[in-house]
Amino acid sequence: MTLLRPVSLFLPVVALMRAAAPLPELFNERLKSAVAVEFFVQTETERQPVTVLGTVVDEKGTIILPGAAIGPGVAPGQLRDFKVYRPGGGDSAPAAYLGQDALTSWHFVRASGKMLADLVPVTRWPAIKSEPTLSDELWGIGLRNKDEDFQPYFLSSRVAVLMKLPQTTAILGSDVAGPGLPVFNAAGELAGIAQTSFGQNFLIFSRNQRGNPIVLVNVEESSVVLLAGEVLPYLGRIPQSATGRPIAWFGAYGLQPMDPEVAKLLKLENQSGVVVSDIMKSSPADLAGLQERDIVLAVDGQPLPHLKPDRVVVGYFGQELLRHRPGDKLSLSVLRGGKRIELSVTLGDEPKLVREAERTYFERLGFTAREFLYNDGIMHRAAPGSTEGAMVHFVKPGSAVATAGLRPDDWVREIDGVEIKTYAEAVAKLAAIESDKARAEFVLLVRRGGETQVLRVKLN
Amino acid sequence: MSRGFNRLLDAVVRIDVREIQFNDGAKRISGGVGSGVIISNDGLVLTNAHVVSPQAIEVSVTLASLERVAARLVGWDHWTDLALLRIDLDAVKRRGLTFATAEFGDSDGLSVGQTVFAVGTPHGLTRTVTRGIISNNNRYFEDSRGVNGYETGAFNTWLQTDAAINPGNSGGPLVTEEGKVVGINSRGYIGADNLGFAIPAKVARAVAATLVKSGTVIRSYAGIGFRELQDLERFYALSANTGVLVGNVDVGSPAAKAGLRAGDVVLTLNGRKVDGRFPEQLPPIQQSIASLPVGAAVKLGVKRAEQVVELVVLTEKLESRVGEEWAFEKWGLTVRKVSRAYARENQLSDETGVVVLGVLPAYPAAEAGLARGDIITKVGSQIIADLAGLKTLYAAYEAAPEPQLVEAQRNRRISLYVIKP
Repeated sequence: MTLLRPVSLFLPVVALMRAAAPLPELFNERLKSAVAVEFFVQTETERQPVTVLGTVVDEKGTIILPGAAIGPGVAPGQLRDFKVYRPGGGDSAPAAYLGQDALTSWHFVRASGKMLADLVPVTRWPAIKSEPTLSDELWGIGLRNKDEDFQPYFLSSRVAVLMKLPQTTAILGSDVAGPGLPVFNAAGELAGIAQTSFGQNFLIFSRNQRGNPIVLVNVEESSVVLLAGEVLPYLGRIPQSATGRPIAWFGAYGLQPMDPEVAKLLKLENQSGVVVSDIMKSSPADLAGLQERDIVLAVDGQPLPHLKPDRVVVGYFGQELLRHRPGDKLSLSVLRGGKRIELSVTLGDEPKLVREAERTYFERLGFTAREFLYNDGIMHRAAPGSTEGAMVHFVKPGSAVATAGLRPDDWVREIDGVEIKTYAEAVAKLAAIESDKARAEFVLLVRRGGETQVLRVKLN
Repeated sequence: MSRGFNRLLDAVVRIDVREIQFNDGAKRISGGVGSGVIISNDGLVLTNAHVVSPQAIEVSVTLASLERVAARLVGWDHWTDLALLRIDLDAVKRRGLTFATAEFGDSDGLSVGQTVFAVGTPHGLTRTVTRGIISNNNRYFEDSRGVNGYETGAFNTWLQTDAAINPGNSGGPLVTEEGKVVGINSRGYIGADNLGFAIPAKVARAVAATLVKSGTVIRSYAGIGFRELQDLERFYALSANTGVLVGNVDVGSPAAKAGLRAGDVVLTLNGRKVDGRFPEQLPPIQQSIASLPVGAAVKLGVKRAEQVVELVVLTEKLESRVGEEWAFEKWGLTVRKVSRAYARENQLSDETGVVVLGVLPAYPAAEAGLARGDIITKVGSQIIADLAGLKTLYAAYEAAPEPQLVEAQRNRRISLYVIKP
């Protein structure tokens, strides 16, 4: 009889062991949260196919993709034919682009169709209860290319260091997952999502080069993992529109970290800050009374933390702003000329972004004109907001305007000697020239790097 | 060869220069070799501005007799890439040396295809003569950084020759078969075959005459970037041979203040008709403004769309894009004053500050995080308006080293640094 007791004690232990299933089993199960997403970017003259990896985050088939998957100038309308593939083959499912979240920079897409039944949101798996510590072993999923049916493979490595960048991020000794895919611990608990990999320094030796330094970035696998605690609270930030709006706007630019030596000299030890380089007129920062050269020390009473590398504090400050919505109020503690002052800011609505700008492609002329935006005003040192007109967004190689010397990012000031005041004016004039088949030439006056150029464009 | 040619050979010299450079965080001495030609009995030697600059600390001239004598810089003009030296005549007399002087020829009278010779010191090979022809006698070639970072070629056209011109030929004469100097060899396309350029003798003589008198050529500045009208006459509804296009107006320049705009066409300049159909015609137009006294009023007849308006531009003194340079040795920092032209190029709001030319690794400036291209605008509470201000601060630092708070900007991003002893 007495023998029974140890047996009953033994049972729960067995049960626990069963929960921590063998890794191959866990791998095949967790694989249901990993997908490959294919789409193409339609430009004026070509289609650029893109394949990225993503993680399923809810029952509706919502998938998050790393921010770097889509360039900042690409308009949602240029994104076409989203398709979702499960690892290891099978049919693809169509998907829709939902937009980019400004705070996390994730792109959201949503799969539809039969595949939904096979997708499991990453939230279904238990998450790690505490941050992994140094030397903990984590594992993740890598996916081969499309011609290999996105064949999944197993990767694992140990945590080398935890850093705040500013989100808590684990850096592993070697690559642990494809960027955008989830990472787990031995018990199958979600540890985080692999980020775009960091560059690594190498020396290149060849017949002509002797030990030249180069930076290599692995685009297929990553050793950088954003921890679950930095991922899970934000999975619900599905953009309300493809443009990602509303986006909070502050209006201070060229933010630079305060050097620790500077902090020491200013008697601000244990404190970090950001130096403000540029304040845009009538922006929320300007209206709040912020000035160039001010050093922001705290947001809503919370001092900016000491983070390494120094520049991370700029990202931290940016995220503190982006957590808010337009119209929100926040207070800033600012150091100006040795004095500490408090400012109250009412955040605004981010001015139109390049991806939202109106644009028109003139095929015969060979370029795309787009609206002059607030941010172009910053670049061209023109009072932002007060100036309008058209920017050159794209120049078709070998086209009439390319031959005449037009370049992307030129600012169109005059067409045929007439000053261009609005984008509509520019489009009307260019459309007239484009459709006038008898037209042999026209003249553009553009601004480029503080100087102007007169370009004569020969048509036909 | 002719007697004149042999005499010319005796007037050509090799020039060895040692000069200060401020490029990498410390004062460094570098050496170079060029050519020159003696143009007067009192020992004036004409050479290129990029051979001997005001940063030269030691200049020596090797005469035809292979004897070497010291020389000093008399005047310098990077716009025409010309420098004028004077040989140490006392030494010449003391040592009983002799030299010949060259005679100028008529550079305007040169015909394309005419045989010319380049004499000089290519790659240090003293007294080398190469032969070619005048390939083009009116070449337009402007370079905003052509003479060690200084502008050149805006006010003159060049002679082009296929006589081999290599590094070291710079400053040597381009001569006719009679030994008359028609140009000062100045540049070539490296890697191309025999595309060499020389400053026409006419320009060289005029500049040399000014340099003897005042050491520098003072020019008027209006801030107009002219462009050739070529093929645009019809667009601007112009009759043939009239007008020059305004391609650019410098921000804040006299022309901008007068209301001139890019896209305008200048028809007349102080009442005289302007013809700028081709690029070769632009330097003379620029020169007609530059040669006016500083502060002169330039009346421009300007065609703007259908209207013709008259604008009056009050010229300012033309300044170089390269400002004064200096080394702050204990900081391991070399800098150059921000010039008006540099501020304009980089769209800075004004000329405040000094540009970092270089930092010495592991010295205080490098340790603080400063790097080449940063513009230091403030140290402590003092705005760095000029180099003298920074020198004073540095002197105080040398006397009693204390951490210095430095404000600098890079691509208009302001950062703070601390230079620590």
